[in-house]
Amino acid sequence: MTDNAADVAEDYRQALEDLTINSRIEIATLTNIARENANHGLAITEVLQNHIKKVPPGRTLPALYVLDSVVKNVPTPYALYFGPKLYSVFMGAYTKVDNMTRRKMEEMLRTWKEPVPGSISSRPVFPPEHVQPIENALVAAHNAALAAQQNSYQGTQQLLRSARPSAPNRDTPTPPMARAPSHQAGPHSQQAFPGPNGQPQYHNDLAMAQQPYPVRPLSANMIPARAPPQAPPPAGPFYGHQQPAGRDAYGAPQPGISIDKLKDDIQHLIVAAKAEFAQDPLDISKQTRLKALLDLQTLIQRQDMPQDQLMVVKDKVAELAVNTRAPSAAPLSMPMPYAYAATPPVVVSQQPTPVPPVAVARPPPPAAAPPSAVSFDGLFGQGALATLLGGLQKPATPQTPVLHRPPPLAAAAAAAASPALATLTSAAVRATPPPPQRPVEPAAQPAVSSLSANPSALLAMLRQSGLLAAGAPAAGVAPAPPQPASSAAVGNISSLLSQARPFAAAPAPSGHGSGQLQAASLKQFRPQLIAQFHDDLGPPCTQCGRRFRADEQGRRKKTAHMDWHFRVHQRIAEAEKRGQHRSWYVDEMDWIKSREAIDVDYVAPDLGGSGNNSGDGDGDDGNQAGGDYYYAAGGSGGRADSSSARQPVGAKTNDKNSKKIHYIAVPDDPGVNTTCPICQERFEMKWLDEAQEWVWMDAVWVPASSSASSAGARPEQRRVYHATCHREVGGGSAAQQAHHFARATPEPVLGKRKAEDEFNSLRGGKLKMEGY
Amino acid sequence: MSIPGLGQLLPQPTASTTRIVALKRLSEWRFDASRSSSTGVKVRLISGTAERDGTELALNKTYTFVRTKSKILTWSGCTLEISGESEDYVTDFPVAEDSPMVSYLNLHFELQAQRKAAANATRRNRPGPRVMVCGPQNSGKTSLVRMLAALSTKMGGQPLVANLDPGEGLLSLPGTVSAAVFGNVMDIEEPAGGFGVGSTPSSGPSAVPVKLPIVYYFGREKVQDDVALWKDLTSKLASSVRAKFGEDDEVRSAGLVLDTPVATTNQSDIDSLVHAAREFAVNIVVVLGSARIESTLQQILGQEKTSFGEPISVIMLDQSEGVAARDNDFIKSIREASIKEYFFGDSKRTLSPSTQSVSFDDVAIFKTPDEEEGYETPPVGQVLEPAEITAGMSHWTLAVMDASVNDPPETIRQAPVIGFIAVADVDEDRRRLKILSPVTSRLGNKPLVWGRWPEPYINLLG
Repeated sequence: MTDNAADVAEDYRQALEDLTINSRIEIATLTNIARENANHGLAITEVLQNHIKKVPPGRTLPALYVLDSVVKNVPTPYALYFGPKLYSVFMGAYTKVDNMTRRKMEEMLRTWKEPVPGSISSRPVFPPEHVQPIENALVAAHNAALAAQQNSYQGTQQLLRSARPSAPNRDTPTPPMARAPSHQAGPHSQQAFPGPNGQPQYHNDLAMAQQPYPVRPLSANMIPARAPPQAPPPAGPFYGHQQPAGRDAYGAPQPGISIDKLKDDIQHLIVAAKAEFAQDPLDISKQTRLKALLDLQTLIQRQDMPQDQLMVVKDKVAELAVNTRAPSAAPLSMPMPYAYAATPPVVVSQQPTPVPPVAVARPPPPAAAPPSAVSFDGLFGQGALATLLGGLQKPATPQTPVLHRPPPLAAAAAAAASPALATLTSAAVRATPPPPQRPVEPAAQPAVSSLSANPSALLAMLRQSGLLAAGAPAAGVAPAPPQPASSAAVGNISSLLSQARPFAAAPAPSGHGSGQLQAASLKQFRPQLIAQFHDDLGPPCTQCGRRFRADEQGRRKKTAHMDWHFRVHQRIAEAEKRGQHRSWYVDEMDWIKSREAIDVDYVAPDLGGSGNNSGDGDGDDGNQAGGDYYYAAGGSGGRADSSSARQPVGAKTNDKNSKKIHYIAVPDDPGVNTTCPICQERFEMKWLDEAQEWVWMDAVWVPASSSASSAGARPEQRRVYHATCHREVGGGSAAQQAHHFARATPEPVLGKRKAEDEFNSLRGGKLKMEGY
Repeated sequence: MSIPGLGQLLPQPTASTTRIVALKRLSEWRFDASRSSSTGVKVRLISGTAERDGTELALNKTYTFVRTKSKILTWSGCTLEISGESEDYVTDFPVAEDSPMVSYLNLHFELQAQRKAAANATRRNRPGPRVMVCGPQNSGKTSLVRMLAALSTKMGGQPLVANLDPGEGLLSLPGTVSAAVFGNVMDIEEPAGGFGVGSTPSSGPSAVPVKLPIVYYFGREKVQDDVALWKDLTSKLASSVRAKFGEDDEVRSAGLVLDTPVATTNQSDIDSLVHAAREFAVNIVVVLGSARIESTLQQILGQEKTSFGEPISVIMLDQSEGVAARDNDFIKSIREASIKEYFFGDSKRTLSPSTQSVSFDDVAIFKTPDEEEGYETPPVGQVLEPAEITAGMSHWTLAVMDASVNDPPETIRQAPVIGFIAVADVDEDRRRLKILSPVTSRLGNKPLVWGRWPEPYINLLG
């Protein structure tokens, strides 16, 4: 920790620049660095702030997550440092990113208004005076957007959008207690909102209090989903996003819990409001706000507000506009699409572990709640939905599970006559008896439509969750859903799908392996084949799209693969500094013996290190030329037991050692011999880019005693030899060994030729380098 | 408002803005980024699955395509976010059977079945399926080859891909025939979709795994220019492939996908194809879009059996309707770009070739003798002759052969290529050559061969 602030800042800046994806591990690391260098907090704050400003939009979110993680885990001093800058950082980022990222940012913003989960402190992450301006700006932005789209819904949207104490003219018509029922009455009650009311802030505060519920599950899905599979689950910087207590509330909502949590949240708000009030006791709006909060608290504590009313209120307030595009006339429709929409898209193919059954077995959303059939479409219009995250419907579930019944599934089963599994699935999942055809608006609703429009993704999820066990009898086993009602539903779906399978498989492919191909048979579309090279192969790598099965072996491979990506990523940065060049192709023998070395094409640094080969002394450490091959030379020896992944690596390492170009820095000592004692030719002096100095090529230090290692020998005790000459006369046991290995291996790849070329050219002296 | 000149600007084409394209099942998004500037067109898969010639796009990763005409295909529907300029359109196939991709896919699964059989076979000498893809110009041969290879790779196989079309190099410069194992994902951002020279090994790491080819030098554009040599090299490549099958069980069971030169119904073209089919013991011949070629090949090969005793299936598949007609200018620009890329790398990987100055006396450059009137083939023993170094050699790329200068010409000619050098400058007075070499080490006594194609285009050193 002797680094000065500038160094730390520079290091941190570089580390941030490497952060290109939303990797939980990297974010955790960056958080830890920030923690360890808290004494340079101001510098780090500065760097992070600048980074967020400068990064391209695609990389803004990870950077913001770093900020989020840092302030939550190391609130002192970072929350203090960031607080005053929060508005400019947040809004600067908000303006340049896409809608998807914006929603993530809004979620993050919401968590900032709460205490850090799991922390004993009841203080919010950022004090309200820093968060509120942002919210105000966002509300203004949303309003502007909405106004353009749907004037009539603007007021409602505003109301529900966020907590905003400074909206003196926006009154609500009904006193708090009366309002919740009015929501239940349907969309019409909404018109009453912009009426005169003495407690304008009340509703907003309620909204604030509700928000923790929708936010948590979403974040929990979102962040780990992107993280590499081996990410250690909790305890990371994002423990804040895990929801140990919260999940119960979503999976099997228990009124008690949610009320308690609600109370807690209200309590926090009251504390904050009191503080504000204390600061400025004359401000009427703050006074009102506090009073409203206290009222609410009393109200909740009396618990005379029916749970379902609470939920309905919560639905809206917390922006749970999960749709309900289905007319209330078809209340049972469409359980699945919404369930999927509930999960961020990223889960579909990136999440290595099965999606929590909770999400899959999600019963129908509020659409099905008959008494309170509030159409959010009616309230907000389609456009508003686009800005809302689908996953937020979860708290709505308590009202509805009972309504989830077989009828629609049976109807869908009729659709199973379709031979195309993909079609079928989408039919079963999406279409419903009275198809309430809503326009699919991919552009406007990426989160929703992308998933519902993608049967294969649905299939993938079904399969992952065990619903569709690739035709195995296990297909009927539901993955321990949280609610009995939805479990029944799941059973129905899975049995439906298993029924569907024979249908789908009916047009059997032409005789496999028969060797005779029929043009007619080749033309037949067999949708079931598609899964075989997509979902059956497991989720794809987030970086290159290669798929890995979800089983044990697949996971191992994927780990190796991700390690490979990581190393390559690192080495590319190094290589750019060093300069690189195209390699020669190989000759026939090398080509025939070479093996595709998948994800093991890297040499562990300790294996490939210098010093154990041929005593080539000083300048060797930097010599990487020809060190990076991608193909292990499968020698006859190596091949016999190449089953172990280790073997090729080891073999390659040896090859590498044996065929390294040997060179030494041109010695300063005038007493050193300038010709090779063996062949009496002068050493060739050359500027070597890799070493960044003038070197003698093909030269090694050899101690006068000719012992194996010369690393520590003093110059006057050793002489310089041509590495090739020295090797030929058998000097240096390590060299000999390596050389011997090379001989035993019929044809090492690439580097051999390089050494040979060096050799040839040295001997022949045909070509002269001109430098660069 | 009306500053002269400014008001004349045409409105930006709408294609340059970011847009979302939703593709239905089996739809293809075809794009032509050949005319766009260096920025190319950027594609990001937002949801669903999509692939370029069998290699899947990773979700939410932005791919940039420059100088590329290709397509993004989705099997089950997807949403793409497109930005940058390109001419593009979507091809829908409401009736699945209308899509040629369906038959390509079925073919792939047929091959998979054969691969499985080969892997489980008790007799270990029989390789997996050997598929030869042939057809006329612009019929999508190489795309199909790439797709079949990529699908096999995706399912865990390590298929061999061989290219016999000297007009387009596979992991090599044009004017060569080559083969390589594809055991890992291809670089779909490359114009050649993973078949380009950019996917070959360099001294540094590569974000997309590189492929290692075996390369033979033809030095001509068309097979007809030197049928005898082409046949020799085909046989040579085939024997390397056979040896590879014998050595590597993974590769053996995955089999071979063979790309062939543009074919017409000419007798000589058919002869060439038949020669290739026999040399590589091809058991499936896929003809794209030409019933006449199919029936001719069927007549000849349909009666034969491979050297492993299998019957030979000759099938005709539809060519993909939207195959981009690549005009000569485009092909030429691709060719030139690939030469440049060989030495200097691409945007993702900058390479530093070395410039060397060598005496005329220290290099051995060979060329095929000039054809004399009346001679179909040069006299025996005269397949190569030492070339006189003149200023006319400037800017040509020469093949560095894995042989010795003292080897007989026939050996040199059929030796594998270890790389290429470009002649940057010829100083006839001082009798020195300035050459651009991919690696810093000297050429040693490797012979260089001066082909007749592709012709030099630019001074690589600017």
